[in-house]
Amino acid sequence: MPFLELFVGGLLVGGLYALMSCGLNLIFGVMRVINFAHGEFLAIGALATVSLVAGYHLPFLLALVVVPVGMALLGLLLQLLVVRRLTDAPLIMSLLATYAISTILVNLSIVVWGGGYQGLPGVLDGSVPLLGLNVSRSRLVAFGVAMAVSLGVWWFLQSTRFGRAIRSVSQALELATISGISVDQVRNVTFALGSGMAGLAGVLMAPTFASDPQLGSRFLIKAFAVIIVGGMGSYPGAIVAALLLGLLEVFGDYEFGQIIGSALLYVFMLLMLLARPRGLLGVGIRV
Amino acid sequence: MKMLVFLALLAVAAIILPFVCGEYALSFTIQLLVFAALAYSWNIIGGYTGYTHFGQVAFFGVGAYVGALLTDAGTPWFLAALAAGAVGAAMALVLGFSMLRIKGPFFAIGMYGLARVGESFALGFDGITQGGTGLYLTPVDLRPIFYTLAALVIGLIYLTQRLDGSRLGLQLLAIREDEPTAEALGVRTTRLKIGAFVASAVAPAAVGSIYATWLAFIDPTTAFAPMTELTTIAMVLLGGMGTVLGPLIGTVILSVVNELLWSRFPELYLGLVGAVILAAVLFMPRGIVNTLARRAPTWLPAWLTVSRGTLRRLSVAPKHV
Repeated sequence: MPFLELFVGGLLVGGLYALMSCGLNLIFGVMRVINFAHGEFLAIGALATVSLVAGYHLPFLLALVVVPVGMALLGLLLQLLVVRRLTDAPLIMSLLATYAISTILVNLSIVVWGGGYQGLPGVLDGSVPLLGLNVSRSRLVAFGVAMAVSLGVWWFLQSTRFGRAIRSVSQALELATISGISVDQVRNVTFALGSGMAGLAGVLMAPTFASDPQLGSRFLIKAFAVIIVGGMGSYPGAIVAALLLGLLEVFGDYEFGQIIGSALLYVFMLLMLLARPRGLLGVGIRV
Repeated sequence: MKMLVFLALLAVAAIILPFVCGEYALSFTIQLLVFAALAYSWNIIGGYTGYTHFGQVAFFGVGAYVGALLTDAGTPWFLAALAAGAVGAAMALVLGFSMLRIKGPFFAIGMYGLARVGESFALGFDGITQGGTGLYLTPVDLRPIFYTLAALVIGLIYLTQRLDGSRLGLQLLAIREDEPTAEALGVRTTRLKIGAFVASAVAPAAVGSIYATWLAFIDPTTAFAPMTELTTIAMVLLGGMGTVLGPLIGTVILSVVNELLWSRFPELYLGLVGAVILAAVLFMPRGIVNTLARRAPTWLPAWLTVSRGTLRRLSVAPKHV
C-alpha cells in the first residue's frame, strides 16, 4: 500500500470537506436547520467557475473572489425568502423546503450547463514535489485556501464581536436575545457566510474534479458525515472530522473500490450516531 | 360508520376502475396507490409519532430488491411482496432499537444516510444486484397488481382511522408533542415508537417489491430515489400530518399535479415539483385537512375533517420562546 501517497491525498481531500462542512455546520448551529441545498452552492460554484474561466477567459483568481460572493448573495436571498420563515417551525418543514430548493437548483443548473461533466483544464496544472511525492498543484492550492479560510472563519468566530454574537445565538438563543443581539441579523449573515464557504469550495474543486449539476448531492452526504462525526454545531469538530473522513475515504477507496469506499463514510457516520451522537468535539446540543 | 361507507365506496370504485379505463389511467392509478401506501405508512411514524423520518425510501428500496430477486428466482410476485414486507419489518425492528434512541436532526440525517448506504451497497454488490445495470423482470398483468395495491391502501386508511380514535393513537400523539412528559405519565414510549416504526416499514417494503414487479425493472437509483422520499413526505404534509384522510388527499393532488407537469414540461419537471413542494411548505404547512377543520365550510360533512387542533402544539408553536 502506498501509504504516504494515500495519506497526503486523504488530507488534501479533507481540506475541501472541511470548508464545505464548516459552512453547513455553522448554519445548523445558528438556525437548527439542516440545509439540504448546501451542496448545490458547491455545484453551482464549481460550474460557474468553469464558465467564467474556460468560457469567458477570466482569470481564476477573479473567480476565486467573485463566485463565493455571488453564492453568499444567493444564500442570503434564499434565507430572506424561504428559510427565515421556517427556522422556528418543526424540523421537517425546513428539511422539505431546503430539499425542494435543492431540486429546483439542480434542475436550473441542468438547464443552464447541461447534464454532463465539465472540466477546467489548464488552470493550476502540473505538480509540486513535496515530501518526496509529486502533488498536484491545483489540489495543494485548494487545500491551502480551504484550510486558511476555514481557520480564518474560526478566528472570526472566536475573536470578533460579531463572531461572538454568532456563537452566542448558536449556544444560548434566549440569552443572546435578551443581551440585545439581533438574532435575525446573525442568522442572515451566517447563512450568507455558510453559502459563500460552500461556493468557495466549489471554485477550488473545479480545476481538480469534473463538475456536473449532481455534484452537490454527492458531496452533501459527505458533509453530513463530517458534521455528525465532528459534532453538530462544533466548528473545530468539523475541521478535525473532515480531515479524518478524507483519510478514511481515500484508504477505503484504495482497499474496497470507490463505491464501497464512500459507503464506508456513511457507515462510520451511523456508528458514530449510535455510539456518540454528540460527535468527537460536540457539546451535546439540545434539540 | 360514515368512514366505512366512504371506504366501501372507494372499494367499489377500485373494483370498477380497470373495466372502464385504459392502460394509461390504470398505470397512473397504480403509481398513485404506491404513493398513497407510502404516505399512510410515513404518517404513522412521521405524522402521529412525530419523528422526522427522512429515510423511508430505504425500506422501499430494500423491499424492491428483495422482491425483484425472489421474483427472478421464480417466486410468484405476491409471495415476493409478502416476503419483502417481512424483511422490512425485521429490518425496522433491528434499526428501531438503535436509531430511535436519537432524535430530530440526528434521526433525520441517520435515516437519510441509511438510504444512501442502501443505494451504495446495491451499486457495489453487483454480483447480486447487477449494480447500475439493474435487474430486469418478466412483465406481469397489471390488474392483479392494481387490486392488491387498492386493497392495501384501503386497509391502511382503515387502520389509520382506527388508530386515530384509539388510546394507542393518543399515546403516539403524546410522544410527538412531548416525549419526556409522555414517558413520565406512564406511556411506554420505547415500545410504542419501535412498534410505530415497524408498522410504518412493512407497507413500504411490500410496495417496493410490487413497484419493481410493475416496472419489470429495478436499479439502485430507482429503488432508493430521494425524490420518492421527498414526494411522499410532501404528500402527507400537504394533506395534513397526523390526520386520517390527509395522506389520501395530498397523494391525489400531488400525483395529478406531478403527472400534468411531467407531460407538459419534462425538462423542468424536477424543479417544478420542487417549487410545488416549496409552496406547500410555505403556504399550507398545517395541511389541507387541518386548515379545513379550522374554517370548514358548512356544506362539508364534519367527518371529512377530523383533526385535533388542541394537540397540534409542535406544528403551531415556535420551538424557541
